[in-house]
Amino acid sequence: MKKKLLIVEDEKNLCVLYKEELTKEGYKVTAVMDADAALELVKKHKFDLIITDIRMPVKNGIDLITQIMALRKDIPIIINTAYQSYKHDFMTWAADAYVVKSASLDELKSKIKELVG
Amino acid sequence: MIERHNLFLHEFAPETSKELQFFSIIAQSFFQPFSLIDNLLVILTALTAGPGVGFNRAMLFLANGDKLNGEFWLGPASAADADSIWRVLSTPGIGYLEIIEHNRALLTSDANSLTKRLKKISYSLYQDNPLIPAAATSSQEIILVKDAWNEPLVERRFQEMIGVDEFLCIPLLAQKEVLGEIILDNAITRLPIQRRDIELASICGLFAGNYIYTAKLQKRIVEMKRVAAMGEMVMFVTHQLRNPLVTIGGFADQLLDPKTGEKKQKRNLHIIRSEIRRLEKILLRLTQFLLIDIKEKVPVDIQEMFKLVVNAARPRATSGKVTLTTEVEPGLNVILCDPIHMGEALRNVIDNAFDALPDGGKIHLRAYRENDQWGVISVQDTGKGIPKSLKEKIFDTFVSTKEKGMGLGLAYVKRVVDACGGRIEVESEEGKGTTFKLHFKTGERGSQK
Repeated sequence: MKKKLLIVEDEKNLCVLYKEELTKEGYKVTAVMDADAALELVKKHKFDLIITDIRMPVKNGIDLITQIMALRKDIPIIINTAYQSYKHDFMTWAADAYVVKSASLDELKSKIKELVG
Repeated sequence: MIERHNLFLHEFAPETSKELQFFSIIAQSFFQPFSLIDNLLVILTALTAGPGVGFNRAMLFLANGDKLNGEFWLGPASAADADSIWRVLSTPGIGYLEIIEHNRALLTSDANSLTKRLKKISYSLYQDNPLIPAAATSSQEIILVKDAWNEPLVERRFQEMIGVDEFLCIPLLAQKEVLGEIILDNAITRLPIQRRDIELASICGLFAGNYIYTAKLQKRIVEMKRVAAMGEMVMFVTHQLRNPLVTIGGFADQLLDPKTGEKKQKRNLHIIRSEIRRLEKILLRLTQFLLIDIKEKVPVDIQEMFKLVVNAARPRATSGKVTLTTEVEPGLNVILCDPIHMGEALRNVIDNAFDALPDGGKIHLRAYRENDQWGVISVQDTGKGIPKSLKEKIFDTFVSTKEKGMGLGLAYVKRVVDACGGRIEVESEEGKGTTFKLHFKTGERGSQK
Protein backbone atom coordinates (compact mmCIF):
# COMPACT_ATOMS: atom_id res chain seq x y z
CA MET A 1 0.00 0.00 0.00
CA LYS A 2 1.23 3.44 -0.91
CA LYS A 3 2.00 5.71 2.04
CA LYS A 4 -0.22 8.78 2.23
CA LEU A 5 1.36 12.22 2.57
CA LEU A 6 -0.38 15.52 3.25
CA ILE A 7 1.41 18.68 2.13
CA VAL A 8 0.41 22.09 3.49
CA GLU A 9 2.03 24.81 1.39
CA ASP A 10 0.56 28.17 0.44
CA GLU A 11 2.69 28.66 -2.68
CA LYS A 12 0.83 27.14 -5.58
CA ASN A 13 3.89 26.34 -7.67
CA LEU A 14 5.56 24.60 -4.76
CA CYS A 15 2.40 22.53 -4.17
CA VAL A 16 2.55 21.37 -7.77
CA LEU A 17 6.27 20.62 -7.59
CA TYR A 18 6.09 18.70 -4.31
CA LYS A 19 3.09 16.72 -5.44
CA GLU A 20 4.75 15.68 -8.71
CA GLU A 21 8.11 14.89 -7.19
CA LEU A 22 6.79 12.88 -4.24
CA THR A 23 4.30 10.99 -6.40
CA LYS A 24 7.31 9.96 -8.50
CA GLU A 25 8.87 8.58 -5.30
CA GLY A 26 5.88 6.28 -4.89
CA TYR A 27 3.72 8.16 -2.38
CA LYS A 28 0.07 9.08 -2.55
CA VAL A 29 0.20 12.84 -2.17
CA THR A 30 -2.49 15.34 -1.21
CA ALA A 31 -1.58 19.04 -1.24
CA VAL A 32 -3.57 21.90 0.29
CA MET A 33 -2.82 25.60 0.46
CA ASP A 34 -4.00 26.49 3.96
CA ALA A 35 -4.03 25.10 7.48
CA ASP A 36 -7.81 24.89 7.92
CA ALA A 37 -8.23 22.76 4.81
CA ALA A 38 -5.46 20.52 6.14
CA LEU A 39 -7.19 20.16 9.49
CA GLU A 40 -10.45 19.14 7.84
CA LEU A 41 -8.63 16.44 5.88
CA VAL A 42 -6.82 15.14 8.97
CA LYS A 43 -10.18 14.75 10.72
CA LYS A 44 -11.58 12.65 7.84
CA HIS A 45 -8.62 10.66 6.53
CA LYS A 46 -5.66 8.82 7.90
CA PHE A 47 -2.29 10.18 6.70
CA ASP A 48 1.09 8.61 7.28
CA LEU A 49 2.97 11.92 7.30
CA ILE A 50 2.27 15.65 7.22
CA ILE A 51 4.66 18.17 5.66
CA THR A 52 3.84 21.77 6.54
CA ASP A 53 5.13 25.27 5.92
CA ILE A 54 5.08 27.70 8.86
CA ARG A 55 4.34 31.16 7.48
CA MET A 56 0.93 30.90 5.88
CA PRO A 57 -1.98 33.32 5.77
CA VAL A 58 -4.84 32.97 8.29
CA LYS A 59 -3.36 30.16 10.38
CA ASN A 60 0.33 29.42 10.66
CA GLY A 61 1.99 26.03 10.66
CA ILE A 62 2.75 26.09 14.38
CA ASP A 63 -0.94 26.44 15.27
CA LEU A 64 -1.68 23.69 12.79
CA ILE A 65 0.82 21.34 14.46
CA THR A 66 -0.70 22.02 17.88
CA GLN A 67 -4.16 21.21 16.60
CA ILE A 68 -3.09 18.10 14.71
CA MET A 69 -1.31 16.81 17.80
CA ALA A 70 -4.53 17.22 19.77
CA LEU A 71 -6.38 15.17 17.13
CA ARG A 72 -3.85 12.51 16.15
CA LYS A 73 -0.79 12.36 18.33
CA ASP A 74 0.94 9.67 16.31
CA ILE A 75 1.19 11.34 12.87
CA PRO A 76 4.79 12.27 12.08
CA ILE A 77 5.24 15.89 11.00
CA ILE A 78 7.96 17.54 8.92
CA ILE A 79 8.30 21.30 9.01
CA ASN A 80 9.37 22.66 5.63
CA THR A 81 10.00 26.38 5.66
CA ALA A 82 12.16 29.08 4.14
CA TYR A 83 13.00 30.28 7.65
CA GLN A 84 15.87 28.82 9.59
CA SER A 85 14.98 30.89 12.65
CA TYR A 86 11.84 28.96 13.59
CA LYS A 87 14.14 26.16 14.72
CA HIS A 88 14.56 28.16 17.93
CA ASP A 89 10.81 28.29 18.46
CA PHE A 90 9.91 25.85 21.21
CA MET A 91 6.77 24.68 19.43
CA THR A 92 8.63 23.50 16.35
CA TRP A 93 10.33 20.91 18.59
CA ALA A 94 7.07 18.96 18.51
CA ALA A 95 7.70 18.19 14.84
CA ASP A 96 9.68 15.10 13.89
CA ALA A 97 11.95 16.92 11.46
CA TYR A 98 12.76 20.47 10.37
CA VAL A 99 13.82 20.87 6.76
CA VAL A 100 14.76 24.29 5.42
CA LYS A 101 13.48 24.77 1.87
CA SER A 102 16.20 24.21 -0.70
CA ALA A 103 16.53 24.21 -4.47
CA SER A 104 17.26 20.50 -4.17
CA LEU A 105 14.54 18.27 -2.73
CA ASP A 106 16.98 15.54 -1.69
CA GLU A 107 16.95 16.36 2.03
CA LEU A 108 13.16 16.48 2.15
CA LYS A 109 12.91 13.20 0.29
CA SER A 110 15.40 11.43 2.56
CA LYS A 111 13.65 12.72 5.73
CA ILE A 112 10.32 11.39 4.41
CA LYS A 113 11.91 8.02 3.70
CA GLU A 114 13.38 7.99 7.22
CA LEU A 115 10.01 8.64 8.82
CA VAL A 116 7.59 6.55 6.77
CA GLY A 117 9.80 4.30 4.65
CA MET B 1 8.96 84.09 45.17
CA ILE B 2 11.04 82.14 42.74
CA GLU B 3 14.22 82.89 40.90
CA ARG B 4 15.15 81.24 37.65
CA HIS B 5 18.73 80.68 36.49
CA ASN B 6 20.16 79.33 33.30
CA LEU B 7 21.68 75.90 33.73
CA PHE B 8 24.38 76.83 31.26
CA LEU B 9 26.49 79.73 32.48
CA HIS B 10 28.22 81.99 30.03
CA GLU B 11 29.28 84.70 32.41
CA PHE B 12 30.52 84.42 35.94
CA ALA B 13 30.37 86.72 38.93
CA PRO B 14 33.70 88.52 39.53
CA GLU B 15 34.25 86.64 42.78
CA THR B 16 33.78 83.19 41.18
CA SER B 17 37.05 81.34 41.51
CA LYS B 18 39.04 80.43 38.40
CA GLU B 19 38.69 76.76 39.32
CA LEU B 20 34.91 76.90 39.40
CA GLN B 21 34.78 78.68 36.04
CA PHE B 22 37.14 76.13 34.66
CA PHE B 23 35.05 73.12 35.75
CA SER B 24 31.88 74.83 34.61
CA ILE B 25 33.30 75.11 31.09
CA ILE B 26 34.25 71.44 31.08
CA ALA B 27 30.89 70.35 32.47
CA GLN B 28 29.04 72.42 29.88
CA SER B 29 31.04 70.89 27.09
CA PHE B 30 29.46 67.53 28.02
CA PHE B 31 26.26 68.91 26.51
CA GLN B 32 27.81 69.97 23.23
CA PRO B 33 27.57 67.64 20.28
CA PHE B 34 31.35 67.70 20.02
CA SER B 35 33.45 64.85 18.76
CA LEU B 36 35.71 62.97 21.15
CA ILE B 37 38.77 64.97 20.13
CA ASP B 38 36.82 68.23 20.48
CA ASN B 39 35.78 67.33 24.00
CA LEU B 40 39.32 66.42 24.96
CA LEU B 41 40.44 69.66 23.39
CA VAL B 42 38.09 71.52 25.74
CA ILE B 43 39.73 69.87 28.74
CA LEU B 44 43.25 70.52 27.53
CA THR B 45 42.32 74.08 26.60
CA ALA B 46 40.97 74.64 30.10
CA LEU B 47 44.21 73.24 31.50
CA THR B 48 46.37 75.57 29.42
CA ALA B 49 44.23 78.67 28.89
CA GLY B 50 46.52 81.43 29.94
CA PRO B 51 47.56 82.74 33.31
CA GLY B 52 45.74 82.08 36.56
CA VAL B 53 44.97 78.41 36.52
CA GLY B 54 46.92 75.66 34.92
CA PHE B 55 49.89 74.93 32.79
CA ASN B 56 51.69 76.20 29.69
CA ARG B 57 51.48 73.11 27.54
CA ALA B 58 49.43 69.92 27.43
CA MET B 59 50.15 66.75 25.49
CA LEU B 60 47.60 64.02 24.83
CA PHE B 61 48.25 60.33 24.25
CA LEU B 62 45.50 57.81 23.52
CA ALA B 63 45.83 54.09 24.18
CA ASN B 64 45.11 51.66 21.39
CA GLY B 65 45.59 48.04 22.38
CA ASP B 66 49.02 47.89 24.00
CA LYS B 67 50.22 51.09 22.34
CA LEU B 68 50.18 54.63 23.65
CA ASN B 69 49.97 56.95 20.64
CA GLY B 70 50.64 60.70 20.53
CA GLU B 71 47.50 62.63 19.49
CA PHE B 72 48.05 66.34 19.97
CA TRP B 73 50.15 68.83 21.82
CA LEU B 74 48.67 72.14 22.82
CA GLY B 75 50.49 75.29 23.77
CA PRO B 76 53.09 77.73 22.48
CA ALA B 77 56.13 76.31 20.73
CA SER B 78 58.43 79.11 21.98
CA ALA B 79 58.47 82.11 24.32
CA ALA B 80 57.73 84.46 21.42
CA ASP B 81 54.87 82.26 20.32
CA ALA B 82 53.57 82.19 23.90
CA ASP B 83 53.63 85.94 24.07
CA SER B 84 51.46 86.33 21.00
CA ILE B 85 49.02 83.55 21.99
CA TRP B 86 48.56 84.84 25.52
CA ARG B 87 48.11 88.37 24.28
CA VAL B 88 45.21 87.13 22.14
CA LEU B 89 43.81 85.12 25.00
CA SER B 90 43.88 88.01 27.42
CA THR B 91 42.00 90.30 25.06
CA PRO B 92 38.94 91.56 26.93
CA GLY B 93 35.75 89.80 25.86
CA ILE B 94 37.53 86.63 24.83
CA GLY B 95 35.93 83.66 26.58
CA TYR B 96 36.71 79.98 26.75
CA LEU B 97 34.61 79.23 23.68
CA GLU B 98 36.78 81.53 21.59
CA ILE B 99 39.89 79.97 23.05
CA ILE B 100 38.64 76.49 22.18
CA GLU B 101 37.92 77.71 18.65
CA HIS B 102 41.42 79.17 18.47
CA ASN B 103 42.96 75.89 19.63
CA ARG B 104 40.90 73.83 17.22
CA ALA B 105 42.09 76.00 14.35
CA LEU B 106 45.63 75.62 15.64
CA LEU B 107 45.43 71.84 15.66
CA THR B 108 44.14 71.58 12.12
CA SER B 109 46.67 74.01 10.70
CA ASP B 110 50.02 72.74 9.45
CA ALA B 111 51.85 75.26 11.59
CA ASN B 112 51.43 73.41 14.87
CA SER B 113 54.87 71.88 14.99
CA LEU B 114 54.35 70.46 18.48
CA THR B 115 51.50 68.20 17.41
CA LYS B 116 53.37 67.29 14.25
CA ARG B 117 56.27 66.03 16.32
CA LEU B 118 54.03 64.20 18.80
CA LYS B 119 51.95 62.42 16.14
CA LYS B 120 54.97 60.33 15.17
CA ILE B 121 55.46 59.03 18.69
CA SER B 122 54.14 55.80 20.13
CA TYR B 123 55.10 53.87 23.30
CA SER B 124 54.49 50.24 24.13
CA LEU B 125 52.37 49.48 27.18
CA TYR B 126 53.42 45.86 26.97
CA GLN B 127 54.48 44.24 30.25
CA ASP B 128 53.89 47.40 32.28
CA ASN B 129 56.57 49.46 30.56
CA PRO B 130 58.45 51.15 33.45
CA LEU B 131 59.77 54.04 31.33
CA ILE B 132 58.12 57.46 31.50
CA PRO B 133 55.75 58.52 29.97
CA ALA B 134 54.21 55.01 29.49
CA ALA B 135 54.81 54.25 33.19
CA ALA B 136 51.98 56.52 34.42
CA THR B 137 49.48 54.70 32.22
CA SER B 138 50.86 51.23 33.03
CA SER B 139 50.88 51.84 36.77
CA GLN B 140 47.69 53.90 36.74
CA GLU B 141 49.32 56.58 38.90
CA ILE B 142 49.99 60.28 38.53
CA ILE B 143 53.73 60.80 38.11
CA LEU B 144 55.45 64.14 38.72
CA VAL B 145 58.91 64.19 37.16
CA LYS B 146 61.51 66.61 38.55
CA ASP B 147 65.07 66.96 37.38
CA ALA B 148 64.03 65.02 34.28
CA TRP B 149 67.42 65.14 32.52
CA ASN B 150 68.96 63.13 35.34
CA GLU B 151 66.06 60.74 35.85
CA PRO B 152 66.94 57.29 34.39
CA LEU B 153 63.27 56.27 34.21
CA VAL B 154 62.48 58.96 31.63
CA GLU B 155 62.69 57.68 28.10
CA ARG B 156 65.54 59.58 26.35
CA ARG B 157 63.78 60.41 23.09
CA PHE B 158 60.80 61.71 25.01
CA GLN B 159 63.02 63.88 27.20
CA GLU B 160 64.65 65.38 24.12
CA MET B 161 61.25 66.18 22.67
CA ILE B 162 59.65 67.75 25.75
CA GLY B 163 62.89 69.50 26.74
CA VAL B 164 61.81 70.60 30.23
CA ASP B 165 63.08 69.66 33.65
CA GLU B 166 59.70 69.24 35.27
CA PHE B 167 56.48 67.74 33.96
CA LEU B 168 53.37 65.95 35.16
CA CYS B 169 51.90 62.69 33.79
CA ILE B 170 48.18 62.03 34.34
CA PRO B 171 46.82 58.61 33.31
CA LEU B 172 43.34 58.52 31.75
CA LEU B 173 41.26 55.65 33.06
CA ALA B 174 37.67 54.55 33.28
CA GLN B 175 36.30 51.33 34.75
CA LYS B 176 39.85 50.02 35.17
CA GLU B 177 40.41 50.38 31.45
CA VAL B 178 43.55 52.22 30.35
CA LEU B 179 42.59 54.91 27.87
CA GLY B 180 45.45 57.35 27.53
CA GLU B 181 47.60 59.96 29.21
CA ILE B 182 47.94 63.72 29.52
CA ILE B 183 51.36 65.32 30.06
CA LEU B 184 51.56 68.88 31.37
CA ASP B 185 54.43 71.31 31.81
CA ASN B 186 55.34 74.97 32.29
CA ALA B 187 57.93 75.21 29.52
CA ILE B 188 57.52 78.97 29.05
CA THR B 189 56.94 80.44 32.51
CA ARG B 190 59.20 77.84 34.19
CA LEU B 191 56.92 77.99 37.24
CA PRO B 192 57.24 74.94 39.48
CA ILE B 193 54.28 72.51 39.44
CA GLN B 194 52.46 72.78 42.74
CA ARG B 195 50.16 70.54 44.71
CA ARG B 196 47.13 72.60 43.66
CA ASP B 197 48.08 72.13 39.99
CA ILE B 198 48.29 68.37 40.49
CA GLU B 199 44.86 68.27 42.13
CA LEU B 200 43.35 70.24 39.28
CA ALA B 201 44.99 68.07 36.66
CA SER B 202 43.88 64.86 38.35
CA ILE B 203 40.22 65.94 38.22
CA CYS B 204 40.66 66.81 34.55
CA GLY B 205 42.18 63.39 34.00
CA LEU B 206 39.05 61.77 35.45
CA PHE B 207 36.84 63.88 33.20
CA ALA B 208 38.89 63.05 30.14
CA GLY B 209 38.90 59.32 30.97
CA ASN B 210 35.15 59.42 31.18
CA TYR B 211 34.87 61.25 27.87
CA ILE B 212 36.95 58.67 26.09
CA TYR B 213 35.11 55.80 27.72
CA THR B 214 31.69 57.19 26.77
CA ALA B 215 32.82 57.85 23.22
CA LYS B 216 34.13 54.29 22.96
CA LEU B 217 30.86 52.86 24.27
CA GLN B 218 28.90 54.98 21.85
CA LYS B 219 31.00 53.78 18.96
CA ARG B 220 30.48 50.19 20.07
CA ILE B 221 26.70 50.67 20.26
CA VAL B 222 26.56 52.21 16.78
CA GLU B 223 28.62 49.33 15.44
CA MET B 224 26.42 46.75 17.18
CA LYS B 225 23.28 48.37 15.81
CA ARG B 226 24.77 48.37 12.34
CA VAL B 227 25.72 44.69 12.55
CA ALA B 228 22.29 43.78 13.96
CA ALA B 229 20.50 45.68 11.19
CA MET B 230 22.68 44.03 8.60
CA GLY B 231 22.00 40.60 10.09
CA GLU B 232 18.28 41.24 10.02
CA MET B 233 18.56 42.39 6.43
CA VAL B 234 20.56 39.35 5.34
CA MET B 235 18.12 36.97 7.05
CA PHE B 236 15.20 38.69 5.42
CA VAL B 237 16.67 38.63 1.94
CA THR B 238 17.62 34.97 2.35
CA HIS B 239 14.03 34.11 3.22
CA GLN B 240 12.57 36.18 0.45
CA LEU B 241 14.75 34.56 -2.15
CA ARG B 242 14.36 31.01 -0.93
CA ASN B 243 10.80 30.21 -2.10
CA PRO B 244 11.35 31.31 -5.71
CA LEU B 245 14.69 29.52 -5.76
CA VAL B 246 13.18 26.25 -4.53
CA THR B 247 10.54 26.49 -7.25
CA ILE B 248 13.04 27.33 -9.98
CA GLY B 249 15.44 24.59 -8.83
CA GLY B 250 12.73 21.93 -8.65
CA PHE B 251 11.17 22.65 -12.01
CA ALA B 252 14.58 22.99 -13.68
CA ASP B 253 15.50 19.53 -12.37
CA GLN B 254 12.35 18.16 -13.96
CA LEU B 255 13.36 19.78 -17.26
CA LEU B 256 16.63 17.85 -17.18
CA ASP B 257 14.76 14.58 -16.81
CA PRO B 258 14.44 13.03 -20.33
CA LYS B 259 11.09 11.51 -19.34
CA THR B 260 9.49 14.96 -18.98
CA GLY B 261 7.07 15.49 -21.86
CA GLU B 262 6.95 18.54 -24.09
CA LYS B 263 3.79 19.95 -22.53
CA LYS B 264 5.25 19.76 -19.05
CA GLN B 265 8.52 21.27 -20.27
CA LYS B 266 6.67 24.29 -21.53
CA ARG B 267 4.73 24.64 -18.28
CA ASN B 268 7.95 24.40 -16.27
CA LEU B 269 9.60 27.11 -18.35
CA HIS B 270 6.64 29.40 -17.74
CA ILE B 271 6.81 28.81 -14.01
CA ILE B 272 10.56 29.40 -13.98
CA ARG B 273 10.14 32.63 -15.91
CA SER B 274 7.45 33.92 -13.55
CA GLU B 275 9.55 33.08 -10.49
CA ILE B 276 12.52 34.88 -11.99
CA ARG B 277 10.30 37.93 -12.46
CA ARG B 278 9.30 37.63 -8.83
CA LEU B 279 12.96 37.60 -7.80
CA GLU B 280 13.52 40.70 -9.89
CA LYS B 281 10.60 42.43 -8.21
CA ILE B 282 11.96 41.58 -4.76
CA LEU B 283 15.35 43.05 -5.65
CA LEU B 284 13.73 46.14 -7.15
CA ARG B 285 11.71 46.81 -3.99
CA LEU B 286 14.76 46.26 -1.82
CA THR B 287 16.92 48.68 -3.77
CA GLN B 288 14.09 51.20 -3.88
CA PHE B 289 13.88 51.00 -0.11
CA LEU B 290 17.62 51.16 0.51
CA LEU B 291 18.26 54.03 -1.85
CA ILE B 292 15.85 56.61 -0.45
CA ASP B 293 17.88 59.76 -0.71
CA ILE B 294 15.99 62.97 -0.22
CA LYS B 295 18.24 65.98 -0.46
CA GLU B 296 15.77 68.68 -1.20
CA LYS B 297 12.16 69.32 -0.30
CA VAL B 298 10.11 71.13 -2.89
CA PRO B 299 6.56 72.48 -2.86
CA VAL B 300 4.31 69.71 -4.18
CA ASP B 301 0.80 70.46 -5.41
CA ILE B 302 -1.59 68.33 -3.37
CA GLN B 303 -4.42 68.31 -5.95
CA GLU B 304 -1.98 67.12 -8.61
CA MET B 305 -0.56 64.41 -6.37
CA PHE B 306 -4.02 63.17 -5.36
CA LYS B 307 -5.07 63.07 -9.03
CA LEU B 308 -2.09 60.89 -9.93
CA VAL B 309 -2.47 58.38 -7.11
CA VAL B 310 -6.25 58.15 -7.52
CA ASN B 311 -5.90 57.50 -11.26
CA ALA B 312 -3.40 54.74 -10.53
CA ALA B 313 -5.73 53.20 -7.94
CA ARG B 314 -8.92 53.49 -10.05
CA PRO B 315 -8.82 49.99 -11.63
CA ARG B 316 -8.34 48.34 -8.25
CA ALA B 317 -11.19 50.38 -6.75
CA THR B 318 -13.56 49.36 -9.54
CA SER B 319 -12.73 45.66 -9.38
CA GLY B 320 -12.64 45.58 -5.59
CA LYS B 321 -15.94 47.43 -5.02
CA VAL B 322 -14.14 50.21 -3.17
CA THR B 323 -15.33 53.82 -3.20
CA LEU B 324 -12.36 56.18 -3.41
CA THR B 325 -13.00 59.83 -2.51
CA THR B 326 -10.74 62.88 -2.10
CA GLU B 327 -11.09 66.19 -0.33
CA VAL B 328 -8.64 69.10 -0.17
CA GLU B 329 -9.24 71.99 2.23
CA PRO B 330 -9.63 75.25 0.29
CA GLY B 331 -6.50 77.38 0.52
CA LEU B 332 -4.21 74.46 1.23
CA ASN B 333 -2.23 74.08 -1.98
CA VAL B 334 1.20 72.65 -1.45
CA ILE B 335 3.22 70.65 1.05
CA LEU B 336 7.00 70.48 1.21
CA CYS B 337 8.32 67.06 0.32
CA ASP B 338 9.95 65.00 -2.42
CA PRO B 339 7.32 64.56 -5.17
CA ILE B 340 8.51 61.21 -6.52
CA HIS B 341 9.05 59.45 -3.20
CA MET B 342 5.98 61.06 -1.65
CA GLY B 343 3.75 59.86 -4.52
CA GLU B 344 5.13 56.35 -4.10
CA ALA B 345 4.66 56.51 -0.33
CA LEU B 346 1.04 57.62 -0.70
CA ARG B 347 0.44 54.80 -3.17
CA ASN B 348 1.81 52.37 -0.58
CA VAL B 349 -0.59 53.66 2.09
CA ILE B 350 -3.53 53.41 -0.34
CA ASP B 351 -2.47 49.88 -1.35
CA ASN B 352 -2.59 48.91 2.31
CA ALA B 353 -6.07 50.39 2.59
CA PHE B 354 -7.19 48.25 -0.36
CA ASP B 355 -5.66 45.17 1.29
CA ALA B 356 -7.70 45.92 4.40
CA LEU B 357 -10.88 45.91 2.28
CA PRO B 358 -11.11 42.45 0.69
CA ASP B 359 -14.92 42.68 0.65
CA GLY B 360 -15.14 46.29 -0.54
CA GLY B 361 -15.66 49.51 1.43
CA LYS B 362 -14.53 53.12 1.41
CA ILE B 363 -11.18 54.90 1.20
CA HIS B 364 -11.13 58.64 1.86
CA LEU B 365 -8.10 60.72 0.93
CA ARG B 366 -8.06 64.10 2.64
CA ALA B 367 -5.71 67.08 2.96
CA TYR B 368 -6.27 69.72 5.62
CA ARG B 369 -4.48 72.35 7.65
CA GLU B 370 -3.32 71.49 11.13
CA ASN B 371 -2.13 75.04 11.85
CA ASP B 372 -0.51 77.84 9.87
CA GLN B 373 2.70 75.87 9.29
CA TRP B 374 1.64 72.25 9.13
CA GLY B 375 -0.72 70.31 6.93
CA VAL B 376 -2.01 66.75 7.10
CA ILE B 377 -2.67 64.18 4.40
CA SER B 378 -4.90 61.46 5.77
CA VAL B 379 -5.88 58.12 4.27
CA GLN B 380 -8.92 56.62 5.95
CA ASP B 381 -10.39 53.21 5.24
CA THR B 382 -13.37 51.25 6.56
CA GLY B 383 -11.40 48.01 6.63
CA LYS B 384 -10.56 45.40 9.21
CA GLY B 385 -8.19 47.59 11.24
CA ILE B 386 -4.76 46.82 12.68
CA PRO B 387 -4.54 44.33 15.57
CA LYS B 388 -3.45 46.04 18.79
CA SER B 389 -0.42 43.79 19.09
CA LEU B 390 0.91 45.04 15.75
CA LYS B 391 0.22 48.74 16.12
CA GLU B 392 3.60 49.49 17.65
CA LYS B 393 5.46 47.57 14.99
CA ILE B 394 3.78 48.51 11.74
CA PHE B 395 6.47 50.98 10.71
CA ASP B 396 9.33 48.59 11.50
CA THR B 397 11.26 47.12 8.62
CA PHE B 398 10.39 43.54 7.67
CA VAL B 399 7.16 43.38 9.69
CA SER B 400 4.26 42.15 7.61
CA THR B 401 0.90 40.50 8.18
CA LYS B 402 0.71 39.47 4.57
CA GLU B 403 2.22 36.15 3.57
CA LYS B 404 3.76 37.61 0.43
CA GLY B 405 4.45 40.94 2.11
CA MET B 406 8.03 42.03 2.49
CA GLY B 407 7.33 44.37 5.36
CA LEU B 408 8.83 47.25 3.43
CA GLY B 409 5.71 49.24 2.46
CA LEU B 410 5.04 51.19 5.63
CA ALA B 411 8.72 51.24 6.61
CA TYR B 412 9.32 52.96 3.28
CA VAL B 413 6.48 55.44 3.92
CA LYS B 414 7.91 56.33 7.30
CA ARG B 415 11.41 56.78 5.90
CA VAL B 416 10.12 59.10 3.20
CA VAL B 417 8.01 61.14 5.63
CA ASP B 418 10.93 61.38 8.08
CA ALA B 419 13.32 62.39 5.33
CA CYS B 420 10.92 65.16 4.33
CA GLY B 421 10.96 66.47 7.90
CA GLY B 422 7.39 65.32 8.56
CA ARG B 423 5.86 62.74 10.84
CA ILE B 424 3.38 59.91 10.48
CA GLU B 425 0.78 58.53 12.85
CA VAL B 426 -1.91 55.90 12.71
CA GLU B 427 -5.30 55.50 14.34
CA SER B 428 -6.98 52.15 14.04
CA GLU B 429 -9.80 50.17 15.52
CA GLU B 430 -10.25 46.50 14.75
CA GLY B 431 -13.33 45.91 12.64
CA LYS B 432 -13.88 49.63 12.04
CA GLY B 433 -10.97 50.88 10.01
CA THR B 434 -7.64 52.65 9.93
CA THR B 435 -6.53 56.24 9.36
CA PHE B 436 -2.96 57.12 8.46
CA LYS B 437 -2.02 60.77 9.01
CA LEU B 438 1.03 62.18 7.27
CA HIS B 439 2.05 65.58 8.66
CA PHE B 440 4.08 67.96 6.51
CA LYS B 441 5.15 71.57 6.50
CA THR B 442 2.94 73.56 4.16
CA GLY B 443 4.21 76.06 1.65
CA GLU B 444 3.10 78.35 -1.13
CA ARG B 445 3.07 77.52 -4.79
CA GLY B 446 6.48 78.37 -6.18
CA SER B 447 7.92 78.86 -2.71
CA GLN B 448 10.82 76.95 -1.31
CA LYS B 449 11.67 76.84 2.35
